[in-house]
Amino acid sequence: MKPILKFLIEAGKLKGKKRRGWKLHQIKNPETTAEHIFHLCLLVWTMGEKKKIDTGRAIKIALVHDLCEVYAPDLTPYDPLLPKNRKKIKEILKKWPQFSQQMKKEKEKGKKQVESAALEKLVVGLPVGLKEKIKTLWLDYEQGLTKEGRFVKQADKLVNFLQGMIYWQKGDEIQYNLWMRWIREIIDDPVLLELLKNIEENFFSA
Amino acid sequence: MIEGKKIYLTKEGLERLKNEARNLGELKLLKTKNEVPKILQSEDLNPEYLSFQEDLSLFEARLADLEHIVKNAEIIQVPPKEKQNLISLGATVVVEVDGQEDEFEIVGSLEANPAIGKISNESPVGKALLGHKTGDEVVISSLVKTVFRVKKIKYLLS
Repeated sequence: MKPILKFLIEAGKLKGKKRRGWKLHQIKNPETTAEHIFHLCLLVWTMGEKKKIDTGRAIKIALVHDLCEVYAPDLTPYDPLLPKNRKKIKEILKKWPQFSQQMKKEKEKGKKQVESAALEKLVVGLPVGLKEKIKTLWLDYEQGLTKEGRFVKQADKLVNFLQGMIYWQKGDEIQYNLWMRWIREIIDDPVLLELLKNIEENFFSA
Repeated sequence: MIEGKKIYLTKEGLERLKNEARNLGELKLLKTKNEVPKILQSEDLNPEYLSFQEDLSLFEARLADLEHIVKNAEIIQVPPKEKQNLISLGATVVVEVDGQEDEFEIVGSLEANPAIGKISNESPVGKALLGHKTGDEVVISSLVKTVFRVKKIKYLLS
């Protein structure tokens, strides 16, 4: 039982870990990683029913997808471009970060290595069956091995977009046009595209 | 994936998935014979398969998924020279959008990975760009409008 308790205590730290992307955008009292996971689970459950996927599996994927952040840094797409000067950060956030294809691939590879090692550290003492289950669920999210994994990957981006629009509506400095462009490059699942259309109508029809 | 729907893949992508299906099929066969799969002792083995042994639901789901993909796959072909001025599946496109230049490859949904510049032909941006040529202005018109100017089209597929 001790390894499971240790795992629960460590994973619980995500309840206090503010999401770095929102901190960069200088959002007051931004959501934590655990709050993001909660929101994603709800989206995956409700939309997953519509999609007719195995929602139990999909919710578990959503639950583990950011567990690595207990030890890994919460990276943002802007990271390689960030200066120390806070005023300059604001300027950088006005544009979407652009990188060459090669740099995009290297960034992704490095991120995956760091996150995989962090997840391994978190689950190392758990009973083998449980440990491997957590790792394969995470792998499913990362590599899109099943329709559930592929669905959660896109849902994760969509719930992040939704949160961005909620902050934008509250008056925070979110470049909604850049976010809209980004999400339109990512989502291709018909059920999630329908939700995206609803989000757009909800926030922009007035 | 919708049953019976064509699944577009690059030649390399399809080969990779066929190999994975072959390896998983072999593992399944050995498991039904209750043998310790020799493949698990191989140093070349993708460590992911070891995890699959522990998560049988993933093993079965992945194998079924791969079989479905291989059955419905269609390889993305480079279009004939006279049509290479148009964006179709497999094209690498340079666009200007919001005063910034961006480059991405248009691929089928399964190989899409926007983090490394591969976007799906079924995403709103991928879908809107298809059929356009260099110099075209492509507008995604909805409540929030996005305008892409096509600057370059290349086909880098083998």
